Amino acid sequence: MFKQIAVVATVLALTIPGVSQASRVKLGFINTITGAEAPIGENLTNGAMMAVEDLKKKGIEVELVKEDDTGKPEKALSAFEKLATRDNVAGVVGPYTSACANAVASQADKYKVPQLIPAAAKEEITQKGFKYVFRLNAPADVYSSVIMDAIMTQGKPQTIAYVYANTDFGISTVKTAQSYAAKLGIREVANEKYQKGAPDFRSTLSKIKSLNPDLIFMVSYEVDAITLMRQSKEIGVSPKAFLGAGAGFTTAQFLAQKEISDHVFSSTQWTDDVNWPGAADFGKRYKAKFGKEPTYHAACAYEALRIMGETAAANAGDRDKTRAGLKNGSWKGIMGDVKFVEYEKFTNQNRHEMLVQQIQAGKYETVFPPKYATKKAIYPFVRK
Amino acid sequence: MTSSVLMQAIISGILVGGVYALIGVGLTIIFGVMRVINFAHGDLMMVGMYLTYFLFTQLGIDPFVSVIITIPTMFIFGGIIQKLFINRIIGSLPQNQILLTIGLGLIMSNSAMLAFTSDYKILTTSYSSSSFNIMGISISQPLALSFLITAVITLLLYWFFMKTDTGQAIRATAQDREAAQLMGINVKRMSIIAFGLGASLAGTAGALISPTYYIFPQVGSAFTLKAFVITVLGGMGSIVGATLGGIIIGVVESVGAVTISSDWKDVLVFSIFLLVLLIKPAGLMGKSST
Amino acid sequence: MKPLSLITGNTRGFSIPSLIIGIVLLGALFCFPSFVQSPYALHMMILLFLSTIMGESWNIIGGYTGQYSVGHAAYYGAGAYGTLVLLQKWEIPPWYGMWAGMAVAVLLSLIIGSICFRLRGPYFVLASIAVAEIVRITVLNTPAVTNGAEGILLSDLPPFKIGGTVITDFVSKVPFYYISLLLAIFTIVVTWLLQNSKLGYYVQAIREDQDAAHSLGISLSLYKSIALAISAALTSLAGSFYAIYIKFIDPSTVLSLDLSVQIVLIAIIGGIGTIYGPLIGALVLVPLSEALRSNVIAQGLINCGVVREDSGVGIFLKEHLAHAHVLIYGILVVIVILFMPDGVLGFVKKKSRDWGLGTGKGLDR
Repeated sequence: MFKQIAVVATVLALTIPGVSQASRVKLGFINTITGAEAPIGENLTNGAMMAVEDLKKKGIEVELVKEDDTGKPEKALSAFEKLATRDNVAGVVGPYTSACANAVASQADKYKVPQLIPAAAKEEITQKGFKYVFRLNAPADVYSSVIMDAIMTQGKPQTIAYVYANTDFGISTVKTAQSYAAKLGIREVANEKYQKGAPDFRSTLSKIKSLNPDLIFMVSYEVDAITLMRQSKEIGVSPKAFLGAGAGFTTAQFLAQKEISDHVFSSTQWTDDVNWPGAADFGKRYKAKFGKEPTYHAACAYEALRIMGETAAANAGDRDKTRAGLKNGSWKGIMGDVKFVEYEKFTNQNRHEMLVQQIQAGKYETVFPPKYATKKAIYPFVRK
Repeated sequence: MTSSVLMQAIISGILVGGVYALIGVGLTIIFGVMRVINFAHGDLMMVGMYLTYFLFTQLGIDPFVSVIITIPTMFIFGGIIQKLFINRIIGSLPQNQILLTIGLGLIMSNSAMLAFTSDYKILTTSYSSSSFNIMGISISQPLALSFLITAVITLLLYWFFMKTDTGQAIRATAQDREAAQLMGINVKRMSIIAFGLGASLAGTAGALISPTYYIFPQVGSAFTLKAFVITVLGGMGSIVGATLGGIIIGVVESVGAVTISSDWKDVLVFSIFLLVLLIKPAGLMGKSST
Repeated sequence: MKPLSLITGNTRGFSIPSLIIGIVLLGALFCFPSFVQSPYALHMMILLFLSTIMGESWNIIGGYTGQYSVGHAAYYGAGAYGTLVLLQKWEIPPWYGMWAGMAVAVLLSLIIGSICFRLRGPYFVLASIAVAEIVRITVLNTPAVTNGAEGILLSDLPPFKIGGTVITDFVSKVPFYYISLLLAIFTIVVTWLLQNSKLGYYVQAIREDQDAAHSLGISLSLYKSIALAISAALTSLAGSFYAIYIKFIDPSTVLSLDLSVQIVLIAIIGGIGTIYGPLIGALVLVPLSEALRSNVIAQGLINCGVVREDSGVGIFLKEHLAHAHVLIYGILVVIVILFMPDGVLGFVKKKSRDWGLGTGKGLDR
């Protein structure tokens, strides 16, 4: 057993890093394919697949090594080490979850393998000064700041209630929202954490109803958002606005629930009606290919892989040059302008502009920032 | 907190508890007859949910009507699982029984993932978020309906176990497997029926919760844990106990969320569970010792 | 293996061949990092040692004492959190923090034991799950101490001094390799000592028949509690090691029910109540789950020319086998339980006896 591992490993150690031509690169893609986070992971896989196809059209042949981290940091580490030392990839896109992305980040610098994180939100990941770690999406704090900014252009809400999943993303998003709301003079009337996947929010919601807040700020994964909004309607909760921070409030499934989703605001990394080059086209092609609306996760994965693919190809698969390419380059695509910069505590962080959308007449409409808005926001909330 | 909030919490707790009860009753029957803790119980529920989903989207059969199809289908499914797998480990080491059902659960949930992808499936009916009002307390229409169906099923089960020959034979098997065998009861057949019943109840619970919840391959695990709590609370093997247990858990969760906080309510549930285990290990309605 | 022979017919000495094999194997393990620099291989070995520690520690309470705890994540989490909380809040180096974590785990085990040991069989199993869940939710909801759902992220490790050498390079895998190897050996030695001690005989008597053991004057609660405390202490070491190695913990990675189940799996797949069972379990599960996860099986079939990469089967395998690895894992668990109820080790021993290949004495300890 050990001998075999030793032999295999020695052979691996002797393998010379792949000599690649400009048109052919080998990249790694770590994602959550199985396990509890798999439903969101699937969107990332789809986005990445489309990026590989599009790169091929541009003459860049990407050999993509897909790895499943099952949502567990130690598996993500296994995957990354395999990619870095055995598959000799030029760069890695992923992992999707914050816990996994973070575990990998500390190793990226060690192996000098450029890592581009497409959608993990935890702020600290790009605050530790890693040279080889880049992040495309905006971190967790922006999810709440952008939506609070948006709502302040609409009216003068006095009170706010928080309902959110007891997860890393839920807590860090609400923390920012709380300090932001305090600055704006909005009083907090309720703070309700819930266990992800709970089937019954009725009692919590009726408590909130009795407190009658102007704003209800929610952070929910995927379908919890639907359960929450269904039961809000049932109980008859009617604030001036429902605010959803990303995730569950930005899915096609949520949109499809017309009865309950209308007029809900949500912050998102991406919409298909924003005037970033290729965004609308990406949305159309994605829908044709996979039969469902793309989520921002899909768009993030697509753009991350495209950027990594182009940069690695331009540098003939050389890791250091690819890193330099990512560091110095700038891109314009379906995620708008992308440039990895240093600001505040961040390094190699794309200062991505998040958007606020509102569902109007069964469609996601971008309502903030004004320069991207396609429709005027409807405020206050009216239940049909 | 106003009393109307508390009333609302109690009412919706009871209604949700009805569905919990159904899951618990299924588990309790399986445990009662075979002494096997079924870690795949939530996954059986998941199978029932997918079945309901496809009957609704493909054939347009309403989830509450499709229960008529779900019950027999899940019964056969459960019977097959019992015959092929569970049967071989009855009376073997408890840890092997646990692991076998864990393995079966993994197979079910991951097969579902391969077949239907890990996407969330949402079953939207015209009444998914409808409610009616009684004295300022809103009552979810689908929940009320599923509570009614649960009540009917529980009554039918009670009648089945008390009045029919097969039902009595199953009870005899649960009381003393060897004695039942000596009395000429076909113990193997009873086990198959018991597991079939357990599976069909889990599947039915899945069907009833579908219009207000959502479906994905790993949906079962959270409910498996809940089913354990309910079953122990009521007394393993006791149908009335499990029904009561389900409703108690529903109410504790719901009231706990407004009186204590929604993040601590599960600690409350597990503490009650442990307390019952320690003070009255046979459960609220249990008779036998340990 | 008859339980009675374990109690009465066990010899303390090693047979010469097994001693030599053992020494050679240990030597090879200690030299391994000098020959193999591949971090991937080292990482796999570290995971293997970690799984061995988890399996062996569970074995003490589950295998030898017969108390099937499915809540060992609580002790693992105690080790992990004990270590990192002290490091983060008070900058106490993990080499001290891990002992604090162990103390917490032992304390926890005494509390849990006092609750759960009144129960038997399936009730004990369920109670152990419930207590572990309470621990998980408590950690999740006390962010002031544990950082809650956000988890604890470790950025720097203080240098570690052993004698004159100071290790500062914790990006390298080599220190972790040796730490985990030593910990694994330590747990195996503890298990061996336990098996051959009076305590070991008592707990095995409890496993075989609680009432009979009690009537012989063996205090059930005392010896069960001691066994659980040892098991918890060793499990917490695994947790501490994981926390320092991965540098990130949150309730869902170190306190989940999934983890508890995984710990039990390692021991049972290998074979419980034996010293080498959990080691075998780790040797089977770790490479297997990695092979399935990284899809080398499909790739291997393609590379060997069994299946063509562009053929329908090849594409199917490449695209779907990666999604199916947990499914295959589940199927294997079912097969092992149905056809090897005594675990892989028990199965191999039985087969070797059936085929007259000696008594498998080297492994019989």
